[in-house]
Amino acid sequence: MAQIVLMPKLGQTVEESTIVKWHKAVGDSVKKGDVLFEIETDKAVLECESFYDGTLLKILVAEEETVPVQSVVAYIGEPGEKIPDAPAAPAAKPEPKKKAAAAPAPVEQKKSAPAVEVAKPAPVAAPAVSSVPSRSDSATAKKPGRLFISPRAKALVKNKVVKAENISGSGPNGRIVEKDVLAYLEQTGYNDLRIAPAAKRLAADKDIDILDVTGTGDNGRIMVRDVETTIAEQPQTMSKMRQIIASRLAQSFGHIPHFYVTTSIDMTDLLEYRKELKAKDMNLSVTTFILEAVVMSLEESPIVNSSTDGVSVRWHSNVDLGVAVSLENGLVVPVVKKAQTLTIEELQTQMKDLSEKARTGRLMPDQMSGSTFTVSNMGMFDVENFSAIINPGEGGILAVSSTLQQPVVKDGEIKIRSMMKITLSADHRTVDGAKGAEFVKAIKSKLEDVELWKSLI
Amino acid sequence: MTKKYNPNHLSELMPDFSAATVKIPDILENQYKGNLKKELKAGTISKTVAVEMLEDMLTIREFEEMIIKLRSGAYEACADYNYRGPTHVSIGQEATAVGGCTGIDSEDLITSTHRGHGDSIAKGCAAIRGMSVEKLKSRIPESKETSKKKLIEEALEDHVYKTIAELFGKEDGYCKGRGGGMHIADFTAGHLGANAIVGGGVPIATGSAIAQRYLQSGKVVCCFAGDGAYANGVVLESLNMAAMGQFSNHLAQTKFGLPIIYVIVNNHYGMTGRADEEVTGITCMARRAAGFADNNMHAETVNGMDVMAVKDAIGRAADICRAGDGPCLVELDTYRYYGHSLSDPRNEYRTRVEEDAWKKFDPIDLYIEQLIEAGVMTEKKIENLRQKVVERNARAAAKAAGSADPDPADVIKYMYTDTSVEEVPEEFANSKTILEEPKIRRVKGELNYKDALKEAMLEEMKRDSRVILYGEDVADYGGAFKVSKGLLETFGRDRIFNSPISEAAICGAGVGAAMSGLRPIVELMYMDFALQASDQISNQAAKWHYMSGAKAEVPVIYRASVGGGKGYGGQHSQTLEAMFAHMPGLYVMYPCTPYDAKGMLKSAIRDNNPIMFIESQLLYGAKGVVPEEEYLIEIGTADVKKTGKDITFVAWGPAVLDCLKAADMLAEEGISAEVVDLRYIVPMDMDTVIESVKKTGKCVVASQAISIGSFTGEVASKIMNEAFDYLDAPVVRVGAKNGIAPQSYILEEAFMPNANDMLAAAKSIL
Repeated sequence: MAQIVLMPKLGQTVEESTIVKWHKAVGDSVKKGDVLFEIETDKAVLECESFYDGTLLKILVAEEETVPVQSVVAYIGEPGEKIPDAPAAPAAKPEPKKKAAAAPAPVEQKKSAPAVEVAKPAPVAAPAVSSVPSRSDSATAKKPGRLFISPRAKALVKNKVVKAENISGSGPNGRIVEKDVLAYLEQTGYNDLRIAPAAKRLAADKDIDILDVTGTGDNGRIMVRDVETTIAEQPQTMSKMRQIIASRLAQSFGHIPHFYVTTSIDMTDLLEYRKELKAKDMNLSVTTFILEAVVMSLEESPIVNSSTDGVSVRWHSNVDLGVAVSLENGLVVPVVKKAQTLTIEELQTQMKDLSEKARTGRLMPDQMSGSTFTVSNMGMFDVENFSAIINPGEGGILAVSSTLQQPVVKDGEIKIRSMMKITLSADHRTVDGAKGAEFVKAIKSKLEDVELWKSLI
Repeated sequence: MTKKYNPNHLSELMPDFSAATVKIPDILENQYKGNLKKELKAGTISKTVAVEMLEDMLTIREFEEMIIKLRSGAYEACADYNYRGPTHVSIGQEATAVGGCTGIDSEDLITSTHRGHGDSIAKGCAAIRGMSVEKLKSRIPESKETSKKKLIEEALEDHVYKTIAELFGKEDGYCKGRGGGMHIADFTAGHLGANAIVGGGVPIATGSAIAQRYLQSGKVVCCFAGDGAYANGVVLESLNMAAMGQFSNHLAQTKFGLPIIYVIVNNHYGMTGRADEEVTGITCMARRAAGFADNNMHAETVNGMDVMAVKDAIGRAADICRAGDGPCLVELDTYRYYGHSLSDPRNEYRTRVEEDAWKKFDPIDLYIEQLIEAGVMTEKKIENLRQKVVERNARAAAKAAGSADPDPADVIKYMYTDTSVEEVPEEFANSKTILEEPKIRRVKGELNYKDALKEAMLEEMKRDSRVILYGEDVADYGGAFKVSKGLLETFGRDRIFNSPISEAAICGAGVGAAMSGLRPIVELMYMDFALQASDQISNQAAKWHYMSGAKAEVPVIYRASVGGGKGYGGQHSQTLEAMFAHMPGLYVMYPCTPYDAKGMLKSAIRDNNPIMFIESQLLYGAKGVVPEEEYLIEIGTADVKKTGKDITFVAWGPAVLDCLKAADMLAEEGISAEVVDLRYIVPMDMDTVIESVKKTGKCVVASQAISIGSFTGEVASKIMNEAFDYLDAPVVRVGAKNGIAPQSYILEEAFMPNANDMLAAAKSIL
């Protein structure tokens, strides 16, 4: 019997995934552990490995195709072996208890096992995915009704590189016939268009309606560059990650009453101390100090490390600290779980590991969900100040700006100091102004207190 | 000065009601008193021939026993060969085949039946022994032998090989594996084909005899058919046609009875039906002849188990035929030891006692006794001969089993021939006319459709004396629609003659005549009548080129006219082109203008394929320009009768004219319609159709045939396949209503498609 390869279920909330790349072709021999394909979930691209030795007999899910998790995506077996005629029905809605047994655990989970336990569903702050509107509504654009068009009209439309959707049909069943196309071309002024052959070919190739292209050549001749412009202007489906970001931020900003508290922190002494440490081969980043200060302050202000649905408020015993990491095409928030239990060095190590994974798209879903508070650090971007939008399910987010040399009045004198602004965005439903101010003050006092750090390190 | 031949004859048949007794001559049975010894003494047979006859009978029996053994893997020479195919063995009947084929001359002709292995082997052997060295060498070109005796031996083995190879469906078979044992034919040996339709070969033999008579070839046709066939209509029609008075009486141009011997191989069983007491009412099959000729066709019944008696009877009949006193009929009383086929155990309809009684008269055993008695052969020599035959058959069978199969890619190769008469052989060219040519009146360069057809036949019959015309009432009367009026006077009754109202025999004889060197035009009057001859047109004319492995060409034309539109009702009004287009091997054509009628008929007459040439009675009077100078129309070319750009009509026959009218009506509305006259249904010019449809994107396909099963469906389907992307609307078909043509004028108007129907169809997709 040929072995069945299923779409892995990565994380509790992932319902469907997209195969973005096949590493093996049908007929290739496959060894256990070979990467078979890569999938894109909401937030990451992951490699899926084979559990079997054999030959890839059939691929059922092509690249760029999205299927429910646990759908059959391929068969592996001996060459010539019979494979079922119809793919096993995708286990789209299996009974929950069957899931664990049926779904082969993806290899990546094993790799990351030491750091991430197979997490229990996050108690309250169910990672945003669950509250995201069902993708089938947003991603799958509703198909228009069947377009009736005669083969001849269809061929003409194709030849003219226009879209039939805009033509009204006069034939039976509203069928578009040749004369409708001809009338449309006449009425739209198509016949007066001057089109460079290469431009027409490109438009045909890229499925661009030539009527959407504005010509900029001599006498309005449509040139290749014009088609390229139109192509660039075409609405393009955002990546899954971008869609998730959009949806979550809109949800957050629409529902959570934000308020903002900003303060300036004098980082001069800490930076000095950091240099000393560096000289002693102890390289702690400024971010690590900030994160540690946040963790400690959250312990002091548990209301900020809480979340609400507007009816009840939930306190979190652990600080699961999300740290926004910007990527080329978006943003991910890896989570340092139980950050309060870590030493400052451990915090730095974990953070470094997670950032690296985030940048290479190898984060496991559980490593980017379940945070209780988030820090967004734009220090490296030379910003004076900014405010962030709260991740749904959290009580606040801290925006960290660049440390800049500034004239500061200190001890009655104007001095040049390294100043850094932080802005807390807090959920006003649970965090009052004073509590927010207390929290930023706590961070400020910790970062300005070098003795504190000396005692910790 | 000899009296000038006058082809016309006006009857003066006076009433005569006087009392009289019709005397039917006696039919004699088993009158042969001779034997081999006596024949040798009389010098009617040589010892060599006597031995050869035994050899041939042994060869036949060994061949058929091989078939029986093959079925059980018991034939050692090719025990592994899986023979699939018919098993109609004739064991017990060897004397009929060998006596028959040695009774006629080696160059004479035979036709045979589904139980025809014996006839085929016997005819081939007899023909080979009569061949010149040159002919033998051309038969077996790879042979290095020079002595005639050795060449004959090799040719005989080759003959057995080609026969077995055909049985096995091999490329080396006589018919390249296309025919098989039931359709074996070897035209080079005078074998015009075994026939798997019971009685199907009899009109073919008759037609061949018509050709021998016309060509005065001196050859005789020996037509083998069983007792079952002599209950078949086409056989009885053939006997009647063969015995027609006009071949030998005062009407005849050349007085010469048909040189044909109808041999009833009476083995007493059809398949299992008993001729003697069950499915006929006679005890002597030879009585059949009495119904067709006052001289009983010289009929007699002969002991078919006695090869000497058979040879004697057939020889005498052949002499009668050669003297111009044919036709003859000889019944051979014989017996089929096995069942109809090997799946027939016989015990359901006859007894062992009967079989054992017949086997006591085994033709081979009886003849061996005679050979020994006459001192021609010793038992040892006979044993040696038997051994030689067994070994030769075994070699041939082993070679055949191992020989190449036909290439599957060639499965429909040989359906048609691509030959035509470009140059008429000198002996047939420029045949002289007898009286004045019929006047064909041209007005301003125009002829009517009927005269255009007549002019085509006139020109082609003048060009090539092999072209003959016969059918019901075509002679003095000039055909029911006067298409051939005047041609009898031009060419005489040897070439233009009335036939009995026997459509099957008329059409079948056309096949035999065409196989034998003539180019017959057969008139069917109404196309509806073609159904009476459907076996002869569809199974014989259409199939023989293919089934013979392209050995035979069948240049016969069936002129059939469509009566629709005249209020003649259901049996005289049908447009049946689709039925014949469905018969692979036939060409089917239907002109709609005088110009096309003449050009297409002339091309058809020169072509070497069998052709269903359809005419329309509605159009016979239609006028059109027909050039006086010679022209042909290339077969398989459609004609754009009107060019246009908005919609295409594809039609044939009178429907084309309706489409042209519809096109005119559309033109008044500013719509430009193109009208493609397909003209040739087979072979069809799809290129012209597709080119037009690509231009217009819309198509109406029209014929006067009823829509269900009409050829319009085939055309529409091809358009959909080949020009789908060019179609702007579904292809629409127009035909007669799906019913039976009514007689009532009002009803027929409603039944037949007309220009308004074409217009409505066009508008439904415009």
